[in-house]
Amino acid sequence: MTQKLAGMATRSTSARPSRLIWGYRSLIWNFAQRDLKSRFKGTALGWAWSLMLPLATLLTYSLVFSVVFRANTPDFGNGREGFFPVWFLAGLIPWNFFFISVTGAMPSLLGSGSLLQKVYFPSYTPILGAVTAILVQSTIELGILVAILLVLGNVALSWLLLPLWALLYVSFVAAIAVILAILNVLFRDVAHLVNVSLQLLFFLTPIIYPITLVPDNSHGIPMRAIVGFNPLAAYIGCLRGLVYDLRPPSLLTWLQMAGWTAGAIVLAAFVYRTRGLDIAEEL
Amino acid sequence: MTDFAIRAENLSKRFWLRTERRTRLKERFIRGGEPKGREFWALRDATFDIERGTTFGLLGQNGSGKSTTLKVLAGIYRPNGGRLELNGRVSALLELGAGFHPELTGRENVRLNGAILGLSKRQIDNAMDGIVDFAALGEFIDSPVKHYSTGMYVRLGFAVAVSLDPEILMVDEVIAVGDEEFQRKCFDHLAMLRKRGTTIVLVTHSLGLIQEMCDQAAWLEHGVIRRLGAAREVVEAYLGDVNDREMHGRGVRPVADAAASLSGRLGSGEIRVVSLEYLDGDGNPSPVLLAGAPCAIRIHYAASRRVEEAIFGIGFVGRTGVFVAAPSSGRLGPWTVAAGRGYVDLEVPELLLQPATYRVSATIRDRGHMFDVVDQAYDLHVRGGGEREEGLMRMPVIWRPPVSVTSGDTAGGSAEEVAGAQ
Repeated sequence: MTQKLAGMATRSTSARPSRLIWGYRSLIWNFAQRDLKSRFKGTALGWAWSLMLPLATLLTYSLVFSVVFRANTPDFGNGREGFFPVWFLAGLIPWNFFFISVTGAMPSLLGSGSLLQKVYFPSYTPILGAVTAILVQSTIELGILVAILLVLGNVALSWLLLPLWALLYVSFVAAIAVILAILNVLFRDVAHLVNVSLQLLFFLTPIIYPITLVPDNSHGIPMRAIVGFNPLAAYIGCLRGLVYDLRPPSLLTWLQMAGWTAGAIVLAAFVYRTRGLDIAEEL
Repeated sequence: MTDFAIRAENLSKRFWLRTERRTRLKERFIRGGEPKGREFWALRDATFDIERGTTFGLLGQNGSGKSTTLKVLAGIYRPNGGRLELNGRVSALLELGAGFHPELTGRENVRLNGAILGLSKRQIDNAMDGIVDFAALGEFIDSPVKHYSTGMYVRLGFAVAVSLDPEILMVDEVIAVGDEEFQRKCFDHLAMLRKRGTTIVLVTHSLGLIQEMCDQAAWLEHGVIRRLGAAREVVEAYLGDVNDREMHGRGVRPVADAAASLSGRLGSGEIRVVSLEYLDGDGNPSPVLLAGAPCAIRIHYAASRRVEEAIFGIGFVGRTGVFVAAPSSGRLGPWTVAAGRGYVDLEVPELLLQPATYRVSATIRDRGHMFDVVDQAYDLHVRGGGEREEGLMRMPVIWRPPVSVTSGDTAGGSAEEVAGAQ
């Protein structure tokens, strides 16, 4: 195997192989495996622990909202009376995927710092590895949700759009994770900022409440438009529409999501190219 | 055009020295702008070719840019200027087992490390048996590496880096770890890789290692190549410079009394070695001795009382720990030494040591009793004059020119005879 890397004289050639993300899939998968294998090693319950956190969140909110507040849950798409835990789970799974990916990506890049100074590999690979590991967990959770919905007979053709949704959403989350992880190396405040913002974002996103509950206008502020503009509202609303309400979202929503995903990828590529290539010097 | 593995043209790498790392958003907002700081060229306009299948050494003092060069060659840093061309897959060995995760087993870590080094799953699977063999871990290969001893960890790290069949191997001082036997194994393996045609770039402080392993070498100083060429010449030029600087910088000094601290020294101590001093052929102190020239080693001693029987000894130890020579004054019979300070000279009519750095020990004893031992506490730099031979010592020999036994027209027959005789 011979690779010849010649290029411009100024911001010069280097000894790095010219491969794209696809060429690093094996490395990304290895990083993902490392994360998955190391996370629960030495614990008695092992993998089961990965389900405990969402389960605990699910129980807490179900208790508070369906028992204490007696919130009205939208009905199932097949006409069945709504059941809060299932409805909530359809929003919690994509939220958790986003939340854990973004918060997990930052330490995964910092943790690869010493390695990045010893051998070359693109700085996005450990980030995407971490996201992949979390994707595996989220897929299992989604599988459980799908199984529940199957049992309840809440199935329709709208499910066929699920892969398209997943492609858009996973790409979006991965791109955001890359952006934040790289910026966090340059400005360590990012991690703290993100942690605070995510708290806020959880309640600003229609996860524990349907967007219809948000007033159109509150004290002169167009609340529903603001909440609806949040990209996560679009993605999470879309998943709920596909699997719970069984109503595929409008073309506009699809375009909106495609736009967010494309924008995030472009921004991630920009951040990686301007900041991510020399990250070994900053770590 | 020669067949090169690495070609660097005016390769440069710049860093920004920041007095404080302004990595906080707040500061960036308040003071604004890109914090640039002072620029610092860790590598400047380095031009060199490394031929395929050769071993290339990088030497220089700390902070001279050796490691930066290696990192640029390995792709870890991007150069700020110049051109770099590589022919072949690079495997960098900048730290043994750098990519190991403590919770994963040896085997899992090999997979991960292989993937980091850019190998496919199949390539890693093919190399797995060789790695397990080389690392000699036995059943431990399937235990988490956190249970490994340092030696096992290092063995596995080395095994991974060299067994994955690199075409260009970058090695940074890593062999300095591990026990003697493992180091030997590593050297042997590197030599084997070299024979197989692997190009090796080696960064080390050990000049002996460079002389022993490298074909070509570059001497870096403040990021600039001071000298480039055959490894031996570069090492000698470097040593000469170090010695000159020592002479000018600190003046002539007796060698390394600092090393001779009294703590932990063997011997009863009635008489002690205070320092060693190297003298050149004219009897002047010199930090370096010339191979093939006369010289002397002066042992300064201090005796707390009169010592009836004293035997002085000097030991020369090669880089690999080989005892080269140990002249002792014993064969002259013991000397009586008066209380107080003094010195003993060991005159060498012709220094037969090959150019290299040796460790020197000094002892004072009598029959069956040790007064003082200073074990390998002194460095002796021997500089070359004339042609260098392999080995640690130059044996005084006389070669006689060929003598013809039979005449030329029976050459075929005699060649057979010779072949048959062997």
